Amino acid sequence: MGRYLIRRFLEGLLVVFLASIAIFLIIRLIPGDPAQQLAGEDATPEDVERVREQLGLNDPFLTQYWNWISGAVQLDFGRSFTKRVEVRDLVAQSFPPTIELAVAAYLFALVVGVPLGIAAAVWAKKPPDYGASIFNILTLGIPNFVLGIILLWVFAVELDWFPVSGRVSVFDDPLQGLHRLVLPMVAAGATIAAVLARFVRTSVAEALAQDYVRTAHAKGLRASRVVLSHALRNALIPIVTVAALQIGNLLAGAIVVEIVFTRPGFGNLIIDGIVGRDYLVIQAMLAILVFLFVAANTAADIAYGYLDPRIRVSGLRS
Amino acid sequence: MSVFDPPVARPWLRRMRDQSLTVDAFYRTVTNPQGFIGVVIFGGLVLLAIFADLIAPYGEAEQIRGARLLSPTSEYWFGTDDLNRDMFSRILFGLRISLYVSIAGVLGGGAVGTVIGFAAGYAGGWLETILMRLVDTLLAFPFLLLGIAVLAILGTGTEQVALALGIANVPVFARIARAQLLTEKERDYVLAARAIGAAPGRIIWRHIATNALPPLLVQAALAMAFAVIAEATLSFLGLGASPPTPTLGIILADGRRWLFAGAWWFVLFPTLGLSLILLSLNFVADSVVEAIDPHRRH
Repeated sequence: MGRYLIRRFLEGLLVVFLASIAIFLIIRLIPGDPAQQLAGEDATPEDVERVREQLGLNDPFLTQYWNWISGAVQLDFGRSFTKRVEVRDLVAQSFPPTIELAVAAYLFALVVGVPLGIAAAVWAKKPPDYGASIFNILTLGIPNFVLGIILLWVFAVELDWFPVSGRVSVFDDPLQGLHRLVLPMVAAGATIAAVLARFVRTSVAEALAQDYVRTAHAKGLRASRVVLSHALRNALIPIVTVAALQIGNLLAGAIVVEIVFTRPGFGNLIIDGIVGRDYLVIQAMLAILVFLFVAANTAADIAYGYLDPRIRVSGLRS
Repeated sequence: MSVFDPPVARPWLRRMRDQSLTVDAFYRTVTNPQGFIGVVIFGGLVLLAIFADLIAPYGEAEQIRGARLLSPTSEYWFGTDDLNRDMFSRILFGLRISLYVSIAGVLGGGAVGTVIGFAAGYAGGWLETILMRLVDTLLAFPFLLLGIAVLAILGTGTEQVALALGIANVPVFARIARAQLLTEKERDYVLAARAIGAAPGRIIWRHIATNALPPLLVQAALAMAFAVIAEATLSFLGLGASPPTPTLGIILADGRRWLFAGAWWFVLFPTLGLSLILLSLNFVADSVVEAIDPHRRH
């Protein structure tokens, strides 16, 4: 296990390193002079020169990269050109709302997706299974931001059960915070819930067809016990992987849904960054999101190896 | 359901199906009810998009005097928007851009990714290591984020979104193509081709590619659905085409602001358009998977 863990960790590190070069290159790939771009259209030559100096664009390439990456690991991404504050502070402000939404959406996906998948497998070709199929088709046909708009329309505008926009921290005012979190949570979590339900259904159905399940039934165990502790436990491995692999979609989904519900967070920061050509902000956001994504994938691989001894011996994922 | 009956009296069809796995897979796809519905709906939408000029009663940004935020009538089938524009026409033109961007992105990115995957798998050694590391690096970005990263470099716009989707599609196709090539490479027919002295390019193109095609087609249908979602999302976020050009994402972004005024048609119809594209593509992908599954053959 030790060797497997170290290898996966190093592979993850290598990908983060290569991705960091790609992200670093973004400023250098902008057509034209990056210093001119960052300083703005009506900047004087002195301004441009100052920006160039500040970005270290006169330094050798490797020095530039080293300066950027050594800052980045300390979460120092430089100063935003449009907002005139440290990028670190902008990120720190946007982090809690986005993580709050992502965690809530993920919990929603697990709480809805896993039981739905189990029910669909146990009652195959019966109402729960059809229900899961309909849910699946709906999420396939409706992208998360559109679902957000529909929820907004039905539950906030027509029925007036929920506020239309804005965010209150769940730590400042739990009731208000959760109330405002419900619709974005459903919008960002529904697709992932459907993906989970589909995988849980397949892998539980596979486990239910095994001999040990028949044995468990034959020795007189209650059906609920057979499903939950015999079948589900063995079906857990693919479920864990899929659950971890969905974290990329979760983050991307949260960013888009934030815009729909005009919640502060990464979404606004990144869109403002692109529209305002605030490249240091974009770099910082990409670096953080890629790091989180790769970390989640590596964790999934390691969990997979831990749960299934065959993987960590052969090193291959089927 | 006579459409789905096996054609007993059509020997030419039988012969073509026996000669080509791809023809056989296509035949199986369109004779499966789900696949048939998917192909018909998607094909219909593509035709609507191509002939939008002829079908649309108004121009893509044409403003009609006195027709502000009208609900659907016999004159304006899908109602009108806040700038007095006919929603039905805008959705047709929006469909055109959405489909054009997604198809261009998937075909371009898919072709490049497939070539990279084949090259890496066939060459092996250091070339494979380098190419696949680059692919892994691209895979380190969640799909939508990769698109956003590319737009950060290129700036916003329709062509830029197509290019971004193309780049975002490269890594998945490269991975699948390489995996396909690695399994096919060991087959006897490849050995036979090599034994009679066929060049590597010919072996890959004539022999391996034809056998590796169906999984890549499944991926293409799924990638198209992702691309449609990504295009709609990016233009909803204001990173795609700029107004007054309509895309489904832009119409939805406008519609969101007018929901509070009760303009339900402003959101309903672009949503229906998106859903039809996505469901038909998923139907097609599902039935291609079934069509190429060897366990279900004959």
